[in-house]
Amino acid sequence: MDDDIQKLRDEYLNLEFDEVSFDLDGERMAMYGQCCGETDPKFTDVKNEDFQAPPTFVSTLVGGRHLPKDMPVPDGVGMDAGKYVEWMAPLRAGHTLIGKSHLHDIYTKTGRSGRMIFFVTRMELFDGDEHVANADTRTVFRERPSG
Amino acid sequence: MPIPALFSGRDPVARTVNVITDVEFGEELPSFEPDVSLDNVKLHGKFVGWGTGRFTSHEQAKKEGFPGAIVPGVMSQGFLGAMIHRWAPKAVITAIDTVFRAPVMVDNPHKITGIVTDIDEDEGTVEIDISISNEKEETRVFGTATAKLPK
Repeated sequence: MDDDIQKLRDEYLNLEFDEVSFDLDGERMAMYGQCCGETDPKFTDVKNEDFQAPPTFVSTLVGGRHLPKDMPVPDGVGMDAGKYVEWMAPLRAGHTLIGKSHLHDIYTKTGRSGRMIFFVTRMELFDGDEHVANADTRTVFRERPSG
Repeated sequence: MPIPALFSGRDPVARTVNVITDVEFGEELPSFEPDVSLDNVKLHGKFVGWGTGRFTSHEQAKKEGFPGAIVPGVMSQGFLGAMIHRWAPKAVITAIDTVFRAPVMVDNPHKITGIVTDIDEDEGTVEIDISISNEKEETRVFGTATAKLPK
């Protein structure tokens, strides 16, 4: 582990830095399902008795910040490198979720073009007291070669 | 015992599975052509989000250094989830991980695939390798999903 990365991990991992609320809109959930090719009415028809968001809808819930406000970030533009969803319970229209974000992991990969630094931000989503999902976003910064 | 499509070279049979014992190791999920048209991405942008120029305008995307408009990653992940639901309508996707290796380009045909790589009949879960590739067979998105089926 590079020293600078270890320092970031020591100072910032697992500390909550953002909390937001989401009012789950049925039309938005249904349109997401339709645009993505879902065919089951429980994902596309708000009038279906079991209507719920497709599990991947969790990835569309974006917090106020991706990274801690005071954390130094590498030069360059952060790119969305991937998304992970852990689904635990249905997301229902009309409910309000609370999303609490923390840095879940920081790691690097080194390729021919230099070092890439990955930040994994995890937003834990709660419907009342029930933990309904985790949404991870991987943001990558590609460092400019020195010299 | 039937030979899984992965090993037989056959196209996957368009079938659905209902219970965990229906699933065959190595079977390829029936696919569908994801709608990556500009109209559909605009519709997604209007109702869901990701409606900025790089997603909804080829011209704007080119100004930002892309070859053309790109499909939002959340849509790509959604296509893969929909493929699993079409194959196994009673499945619950409990985890899905997608790596955005390269942009999925709007108005360019893409293929989505899923292959069963593990089955746990005791837990009622399957592991599926998932991917999206373009006409040049370049992988743009890849990952894994875990789905739980009735026993």
